[in-house]
Amino acid sequence: MSQPLLEVQDLAIRIRGTGRNLVDGVSFGVMPGETLCIVGESGCGKSLTALALMGLLASPPLEIAGGKALFQGQDLLGLTRAQFSRLRGDRLAMIFQEPMSALNPALRIGEQIAESVRRHRGASHRAARARALEMLEKVRIPAPETRLDEFPHQLSGGMRQRAMIAMALANDPALIVADEPTTALDVTIQAQILDLMRRLRDEAGTALIMITHDLGVVAEMADKVAVMYAGRVVETGTMAQVFGDPQHPYTIGLMSSMPAFGAGAGRLVTIPGMVPPISAMPPGCRFASRCPFRLPRCEAPPPLVQAGDHQAACWRAPLDALEVTA
Amino acid sequence: MLGFILRRLLIAIPTILMISVFVFSLQKLLPGDPVLAMAGEERDPATIAFLRQKYHLNDPVPVQYVHWVLNAARGDLGISLRTNQPVLQLIEEKLPVTIQLAIMAMIVALVIGLPAGVLSAYRRNTWVDWLSNAVALSGLSIPNFWLGIMLILLVSVRLGWLPASGYVSPWVDPWRSIETMLMPAFVLGTGLAASLMRHTRSAMLGVLKSDYVRTARAKGLSERTVLIKHALRNALVPVVTVTTLLFGELLGGAVLTEQIFTIPGFGKLVVDAVFTRDYAVVQGIVLCTGVAFIAMNLLADIAYRLLNPRMRDQ
Repeated sequence: MSQPLLEVQDLAIRIRGTGRNLVDGVSFGVMPGETLCIVGESGCGKSLTALALMGLLASPPLEIAGGKALFQGQDLLGLTRAQFSRLRGDRLAMIFQEPMSALNPALRIGEQIAESVRRHRGASHRAARARALEMLEKVRIPAPETRLDEFPHQLSGGMRQRAMIAMALANDPALIVADEPTTALDVTIQAQILDLMRRLRDEAGTALIMITHDLGVVAEMADKVAVMYAGRVVETGTMAQVFGDPQHPYTIGLMSSMPAFGAGAGRLVTIPGMVPPISAMPPGCRFASRCPFRLPRCEAPPPLVQAGDHQAACWRAPLDALEVTA
Repeated sequence: MLGFILRRLLIAIPTILMISVFVFSLQKLLPGDPVLAMAGEERDPATIAFLRQKYHLNDPVPVQYVHWVLNAARGDLGISLRTNQPVLQLIEEKLPVTIQLAIMAMIVALVIGLPAGVLSAYRRNTWVDWLSNAVALSGLSIPNFWLGIMLILLVSVRLGWLPASGYVSPWVDPWRSIETMLMPAFVLGTGLAASLMRHTRSAMLGVLKSDYVRTARAKGLSERTVLIKHALRNALVPVVTVTTLLFGELLGGAVLTEQIFTIPGFGKLVVDAVFTRDYAVVQGIVLCTGVAFIAMNLLADIAYRLLNPRMRDQ
């Protein structure tokens, strides 16, 4: 086995001055060229995790409360601002959710790609511009020469996200963190962008961390999946393992609340209740208040244990054992 | 862009006409009769009648207005009732002085206000922010006349570095001209720097939270590039508005400051004209200031287009 490209151990994020962690004990690994999807509903801490890896947490008020994130052997969480800025945009890149607001309205598309090439590769203006053009061709923006000198508002939503991807890939990063890159787009455009990302990832052998709430996206993209709930990883494994044999009640609920088509489609299944607010987070299993399979043991925090062929953080896991005892 | 400027110039014409109507009617509504002021102590009825005839004051008001506008369009703003000089000549004498003072004051304001605003937004809630705010607040609260007098006492009287008063045209001696204007420009500039700093700070605070600044950081750009190229550029739009408005105000003349440093600018001309009911001069100056404001607005609109590409397509 080769070394993991990124290894996150026990990452915790909190609001400065408060005790409870918004993100708590999150661990996962990404191998070179591998795609990890972090899935969960809004507010589960998946975006915070992504921003923490990029050193882009809004601090204050947010701060890292503990943990490690080893990227090519270097702990990201211990980097100084100067060290981080040399890494970001070079070996580590990010794609954001809103391609309109994430692009600078006052700068031309070409310049927004080229400045990163100049910064990290010391390229000349001319070389950086040539690279920007090459990247726009790669992400298949129509008429790339004209787009170079256009402003974000002159592009459609899909084209803006393509430009964003071109920007992230301009320096051939080893790892891309994509935070809901298709959520703000039309469904037809979503499919095109996912297709593009998959193709570029496979061509360059880039590893990808994809943050999403959309299980359809996970099915399209993922090698590995980490399901997050209320700031913790509740289940993790390969996509086939997690989708084929979900072990955590939250994952099961998430999967059965996917809309289905055809004869079998009835009312949508929902998970009852709401995520508890951070101030009222129970010390034990954070899903317990909504869980139909609650046990007295759920008062204590469940560890991430081997459940079948992958891992889940539930006292009931592995579920086979449940069926035997029940 | 050229088409836009031409269109804006066309729109400016009715605005200027409206200002002229306003200026003219204000004149008619003011108490006091200029003819009586001119006729002197004796108030000889023959003289009064002659003066009324001479200045078309017996004509119906609309006719007087048309006379006035047609003359003004030819550059004839009338004769000063007090000094008997053509109003245009008076304005031509004083305007360059005021423009020079306004430009120098604006430079002082921008050099202090912009960096202070950027830094205090970037380092908000730290000592840098508090210090800039304290300096800005004192800039706003210290009266110009007091600061001016203190500066004269310290810099001119005590230290003897700069001349206390007077004016030298930049065409005659550029260096000496800047020297004499330095203190008044500083006095005016510090007051304006305070509002510029506050506006820059609040615009920057909004922009620094934006997604594209986060993107710029995600690209690993240096903080300097992020601040100036990505943030400040977008924060400048509201700052440009304030700058042009403040500049327009400066062109109207800085009465107190001109008085303290005995600068022969617009402010002194206005005050003298108002107190002596020198109507023609007041009219000329108000019209001139109005035109200056329109020009400033046009400049602001052009600046918006340069800063914000989204407006160029409209």
